Amino acid sequence: MRRLAVAVLAAAAAVLLLAFSGALFGHSPWSLLSILASGSIGSRFALEGTLLKSIPLLLTGLSVVIAFRAGVWNIGGEGQFIVGGLAAIVAAPWGVLPSLAAAMLAGAAWASIASAMRLWRNAPEVLTTILLNFTAIHLLGWSVNGPLRERAGQYPQTDLAESALPLMGRLHIGIFIAIATSVVAWWLLYHTAEGLRLRATGFNPNAARWAGISVGKQIVRAMAISGAAAGLAGGIELLGVTHRLFERFAAGYGYSGIAVALLAQLHPLGSIASAAFFGALVSGAGELQRTANISSGVATFGQAVVILTLIVFDHVRADR
Amino acid sequence: MFELIVSSIPLAIVASIPLLLAVEGELVVQRGGIINLGIEGMMLAAAMSAAFAAQASGSVVIGFIGGIAGALTIAAIFGVFTVVLRADQIVTGTAVNLLALGGTSFVYQEVQAFKQQIPQLRTDPILPLAWILIPVALGVILWNTSFGLRLRACGEHPEALAATGRSVKTHRWIALAIEAILVGLGGAYLSLALSNGFAENMTAGRGFIALSIVIFGRWKMKGALLGTAIFGLAAAMQYALQAANRGIPYHLLLAVPYLVTLLILCGVAGRVRAPENLGVR
Repeated sequence: MRRLAVAVLAAAAAVLLLAFSGALFGHSPWSLLSILASGSIGSRFALEGTLLKSIPLLLTGLSVVIAFRAGVWNIGGEGQFIVGGLAAIVAAPWGVLPSLAAAMLAGAAWASIASAMRLWRNAPEVLTTILLNFTAIHLLGWSVNGPLRERAGQYPQTDLAESALPLMGRLHIGIFIAIATSVVAWWLLYHTAEGLRLRATGFNPNAARWAGISVGKQIVRAMAISGAAAGLAGGIELLGVTHRLFERFAAGYGYSGIAVALLAQLHPLGSIASAAFFGALVSGAGELQRTANISSGVATFGQAVVILTLIVFDHVRADR
Repeated sequence: MFELIVSSIPLAIVASIPLLLAVEGELVVQRGGIINLGIEGMMLAAAMSAAFAAQASGSVVIGFIGGIAGALTIAAIFGVFTVVLRADQIVTGTAVNLLALGGTSFVYQEVQAFKQQIPQLRTDPILPLAWILIPVALGVILWNTSFGLRLRACGEHPEALAATGRSVKTHRWIALAIEAILVGLGGAYLSLALSNGFAENMTAGRGFIALSIVIFGRWKMKGALLGTAIFGLAAAMQYALQAANRGIPYHLLLAVPYLVTLLILCGVAGRVRAPENLGVR
């Protein structure tokens, strides 16, 4: 109960500080808050926008939940999201399911580069995953300017993907996939031996080693699962929303996943509510950009405030 | 190939100055037991506050002071959370990066001063400072003074320092302030000398590359300089290759700095010994 109160407080603090920062630069805090509200939950259209943003956020959030629970610093959601999108568009001609499977595989493989470097060369994954993000961004830039560029050759983007997720109005069925993934993640973490080993590794790797857990292998598996979730996010975003790739495809969803996971106190089911909140924030920030010409970067700012507020309540636990 | 390397040296020396200053700053805090992942955000904030101060005042000097002020602000936030509240350093660093990324893009759109002319840097005192004076001074301070010994004790075995009645927190705050001054200069150099003002996310991962180079250099000043030199040369050759137009796609060349850094991290052969208490809350 207390953890829920802390999470709600942190979310409220972020929104209030946003309004306050706006006031510092001469915007009316009330109109700012009302634009945020109307742009996120004020209409059916806004709500759909919020839910659409929540889908990738939930999946990248789950990716971080799995990794941090295992004590692995996967800050590479952004890169895994991108390679997921790349794999999905390449595999799209074979249909939706192969495309999403390819996205997960690509995300897992990209994340595994970092765990391999950690195991063989002792390179800290907190840095390698970040560096792999930048590498993926330029890989995407090369792809949409080179081999995957649209046939018309006009813009640096790909042609439309050859398959798409079934739509429900503006929404797509990715929302069910994302929610199902969080149930699977919850079941995996709390109801399987694999989940117990994974959490034990994160809780205390030395104790886990004494208990006979192969910590190295556990880290590799956690990283692969985590990467698969972020890759899936990229695949779903491609097949459900953007339908093509362009340079700014990832739009920070990978990094935002960290805020989603921490607000959810690293709980897979809590991540659903957390992703909905940040989805609303991103959606509302988009409306601020359109109607009040305030940078949509305020959503990123809000994510930071949420994390810092949580720390103040000393509830951020990403033990290693 | 040899020609390509030689011709890239001058650019490498200048273009890697912000990175070098960040490496030097991060070396100091890591010796004191703190991993500052927020260094990326610190440099970004400094680049913006420097550009703002320079454009609003018309003076480069005030611009550099503004850069330091911006970096110190971020250091204060990072310090309150990690030194005072003893929060997790990676989580705090990530939050600080998001704070700076979102905050700078918000402020950049709000403030009119960024549209004004940027004053030019006529002479470059930062170059010898970054490559010679600061490394020598920091080397002496860290390894030849009692303050340096105490700071390194904070990184290896803080209880030992505490047992002598001295404050670990004070030493870490000083280390953070030194880092902020260096990163502030680096950020200012980035927006005032290497570019024509501020641009969103202009640090492009330099902070993370700096952290990697500190590890590659095994937490030594010589290693830090060598790592920065190797990296700077590789990054500069990217431009030479681009100009030579050898048919390597531009976007793949842009990935070179990050690939080189990944290789640098993997090149840390065997097990390197980090400061014993690095990153421990």
